[in-house]
Amino acid sequence: MNLMAKSNNRLLIHTHMDPVTLKNSVDIILTPQFYTFLREDLDLKFSYQAKQIAPSLFDDYLDRGKEYQYYVYKCESQWCFIAYNIEEIDSFLESKGIEKHRVSKIFFAQQLAEELENPIELSANSALHTIDGIVTLLPKNLMDSGAEYSRVNFNESRLKGGVTMGASLNSFVSLKETVILSSLFFLLGSIFIFEGYRIKSSVESDNEKLIELLSENSAFSNSRVRASLLEQYRPIDTLERQKRESIQSISKLLSAQSQLKKLTLKDKKIEATLSIDDDIVTQQVKEHAEAKQFTVSSSGKSLNVEKKL
Amino acid sequence: MNLMTLQRYKNEIILLLSFLFMVGAFFYKGSANGYVEKNRLEVATQIAEISTIQKYKKQWDGKGLGSKVKLLKTVVPESKVKRFLKKTKKLDASYENLEAKEVTKLTNKLLNIPVQITKLDILESSKNKFKVELKCKW
Repeated sequence: MNLMAKSNNRLLIHTHMDPVTLKNSVDIILTPQFYTFLREDLDLKFSYQAKQIAPSLFDDYLDRGKEYQYYVYKCESQWCFIAYNIEEIDSFLESKGIEKHRVSKIFFAQQLAEELENPIELSANSALHTIDGIVTLLPKNLMDSGAEYSRVNFNESRLKGGVTMGASLNSFVSLKETVILSSLFFLLGSIFIFEGYRIKSSVESDNEKLIELLSENSAFSNSRVRASLLEQYRPIDTLERQKRESIQSISKLLSAQSQLKKLTLKDKKIEATLSIDDDIVTQQVKEHAEAKQFTVSSSGKSLNVEKKL
Repeated sequence: MNLMTLQRYKNEIILLLSFLFMVGAFFYKGSANGYVEKNRLEVATQIAEISTIQKYKKQWDGKGLGSKVKLLKTVVPESKVKRFLKKTKKLDASYENLEAKEVTKLTNKLLNIPVQITKLDILESSKNKFKVELKCKW
């Protein structure tokens, strides 16, 4: 069993290559025709710092009308910068029959500087050769007449890093912004879920109380039964309370000067006749009775109070 | 949408998914709030209904009222009780020659017994003497 990840076939891309037909994914190695290389001795610690300053390093070398992507890596004590235009590469690959989705990773010939110490033949007129540590494309007629061209099996070459087609194309949102915003959204989402769960759990105690009540009164578990019982008892409760309150209200109207002659309670109607000698007391009793919603009528020394229940 | 497009808009896709997660979570919280409010209201209504029915039944279902109603006979002198007919859950009583204090005592006793008063007549039959007719059920 092979526990190592299976690597794709590698394809060297140069302008004189023949069109190809691919059935599987490939990694491509770009010749200097497709990138611009710079090597700088900078006091930087991290590659993201190097990537931040990359555009300014290429200011004098690149066409300002085009949009470039940058690949940065540490080469020994220096920083290596590669600028490339993914749109150009993309359209060239397409012209050679290489579909975008077939390209897994993009490497640069510069990453093979050691292996290209011996030149390799690219076409009838050009060769690829490392000069002063920089992989360079040379016309063959500039090479030594006795130069020998070696053959390199790129599939066996050790290549690190590389970039993907998709990642090379610019996103509208930077990685830093993505990390910050998505973390914020995720955090807020988690808080909302936690809150929601906590809120839902809070009704458990109410439900327990209800279950306890229902278990004690299983006959009331049905809402129709409850409604029927309430319909049965509520009018009785209301009416009987009104009767009692009315009788007590009438009893409060009685005093030494105000005496009861008659009280009748029947058919949701209460009526009382009081005998009062003093006109002032009559007026006071009348006011009190009216305040308790009694209908008051008087005739001589008799005061009649009544109320419908 | 091919793989390359997905890779190109990877950041936007991550942002979109995390945003959708947050929005979904927000709606979950909102629905939890709604559920709790509705549930609380339903539970509170049911608890209130059951408690009210329990209270009503305890007060008006007439259990043990038979003996309490008998007090309406003993609260005034026996000679003044003209009629005291207690049939199944019904009382028909009549009193005469009651003094004002006795009427008050009888009425207070009646008001404190949870029976349904169907008829109450109090009439001054002569100076400071009252006749009382009473009908109730439970």
